[in-house]
Amino acid sequence: MQKIEVSLENVRDEIKKFYDYKQWHFLTLNGLALADEKMEVQWIFSKYEAMDEIVIYYAVIDYNEIIPSVVDMIPSAIISQRELVDMFGVQVEGSEKGLYLDEDSQMSPLKGCSI
Amino acid sequence: MFDLKKYRKKSPWILHYNAGSCNGCDIEILACLSPKYDLERFGVINTGNPKQSDIFLVTGPVTFRTRERLVELYTQMPEPKVVIAVGSCACTGCVFRDMYNVEVGIDRYIPVDVYVPGCASSPELIIDGVVKGLEILEQKTKEMEKPFKLFKEATTDDGIVNRRHSALKVGEDDAKD
Amino acid sequence: MKKTINIPLGSQHISLLEPVRFKFECENEKIIGVDADVGFVHRGVEKACTTSFKFDAIGYVVARVCGLCAITHSLTYTAAVEKLLGAQITSKAKYLRILLLELDRIHSHMLCLSHTCENAGFEAMFMRIMGDREHIMEIQELITGNRVQFDYISIGGVNRDLAPESVQKIKENLYIVKQKVQGYMDEFTNNWSLSLKFKGIGMLSLDDAYMYNAIGPLARASGLRIDVRNEIDYLPYHEVGYKMQTHTDGDINARNLVRLAELVNSIEMCENILNGLPEGDIFTKIKGKPQGEALMRFEAPRGELMYYIKGNGSAMLERVRIKTPTFSCIPAFSHIFLGGDYADAPAVLASFDPCMSCTAK
Repeated sequence: MQKIEVSLENVRDEIKKFYDYKQWHFLTLNGLALADEKMEVQWIFSKYEAMDEIVIYYAVIDYNEIIPSVVDMIPSAIISQRELVDMFGVQVEGSEKGLYLDEDSQMSPLKGCSI
Repeated sequence: MFDLKKYRKKSPWILHYNAGSCNGCDIEILACLSPKYDLERFGVINTGNPKQSDIFLVTGPVTFRTRERLVELYTQMPEPKVVIAVGSCACTGCVFRDMYNVEVGIDRYIPVDVYVPGCASSPELIIDGVVKGLEILEQKTKEMEKPFKLFKEATTDDGIVNRRHSALKVGEDDAKD
Repeated sequence: MKKTINIPLGSQHISLLEPVRFKFECENEKIIGVDADVGFVHRGVEKACTTSFKFDAIGYVVARVCGLCAITHSLTYTAAVEKLLGAQITSKAKYLRILLLELDRIHSHMLCLSHTCENAGFEAMFMRIMGDREHIMEIQELITGNRVQFDYISIGGVNRDLAPESVQKIKENLYIVKQKVQGYMDEFTNNWSLSLKFKGIGMLSLDDAYMYNAIGPLARASGLRIDVRNEIDYLPYHEVGYKMQTHTDGDINARNLVRLAELVNSIEMCENILNGLPEGDIFTKIKGKPQGEALMRFEAPRGELMYYIKGNGSAMLERVRIKTPTFSCIPAFSHIFLGGDYADAPAVLASFDPCMSCTAK
């Protein structure tokens, strides 16, 4: 499991350089609540037909920052992005609330959950 | 003559709705309809249409999004109807109790006649529950057929004769006699 | 002038086991837009895992995410915790875990195939497959004590040993199912309503499968060689005779054939395990509290299941992330519907074998 830190500004460039859709399988987008009103966003990839080769790109952000979308490179990321919006109450480009919770729900269940 | 109530007793139709369960009870309901347990020998058929069904099988604790559909389906079913809560989580909420998107059991929203426990409920239990539900269905049918008698006195408030409460409740006249 | 019609499918529908709603935007018969609403059964298991339950109980809680692949859920979580604790389990426990995992796959695939038959209007075949599936359920009851939701896997091993006198019965039942599956193969390749009607319907090309990150039988039917059983060394899959099954057509028929081939392979694996089960303990006592982060993947019947857990050295975990197979397949599903006929939609949907309880957690 290889972890690479990126910033929100260059995460799109990094993933564009890295992601070859015939070699790498996009697993999911993961959020992780940290202390001091921060959260960690992870883009997780695994390699096809390799023995447990996993690469995680991660960025530590504030809750009010807008996370860039990667849907134009990875179409299947849309569902993970919508989940992230629902669960953490963050903003992701082009993804609206309402996958699991109601559109007008005030809840963001996992926000600051683990502290 | 075509006797509807006779056939209702002999061949009740089932409506099944998943109100947020884990699928375990749902596949057991499906297994009930399969050849080994064969609920169809009681004339039970699984139907997708609430307007044609007599028995309502509900699985799962009620999640926030399914509760409107649950009540909607219940109101669309014609009287008499029987509701069977299948599985521990439909009865009490089970492990899902206290999760943020879940209610505690379906009896908060609709009246339940038979509770079938178990995680997941085994097909034998579900068959027992359905057979029990058939008895209740028959009883409810009988109660529905009792006539309403209109021999209460009309009340007058503010000089207007009010006949709205003149009907007796079912069984009230028996108590009088 | 805009001439499209919006047709909903769900949330309660006779061809659906679970509540999910698809909104199809149709132009005459053709589907030109799909909107899926999958959140009906969202319960909030992820949060409860970090606030209500201690780490040694979560294995039984996450099994309640989905009744069909309950064993994969608890196994993946348990394996992740064991990775954090640095525990080694005995080889007998490993083989028993594979046995249950494959039995679960067999009964899940049979359920899917029978459901496909029902949607094709072939009620007799539905009954036949459901009847044969009971043999597998019997085996599961014999080994674990419950038909579904068997809490079989615990941190450190498994909860019940395989009784020597039940092995013979298990072998007999597996043999019966093996014969029946050969019969299904014949039906699914030669019967008009199960093979020809399904050819060319619900196509997913190999390139699209790569593009939309399809997984499980859906991807393998398109020729994409992805199977987590091939990519992990935690369980000795290659020793028990695992072979990857792929097909190149990518339509409903190909998905059915891949599932059938996997059934045969899974039954072979189960037989191999029963014939060569090593002696030893089934449980190792493990001490400690999980600290650090671990990511674990396993192949559920519908595809890749991923758990990400993070612990901080106390009994409560910081994060449990569940990525379920159907969840990551939803974009591919929506893509397949585009351009098809609305009348095919229930059959195509059944061929995906969607599991909404997994998706919404």
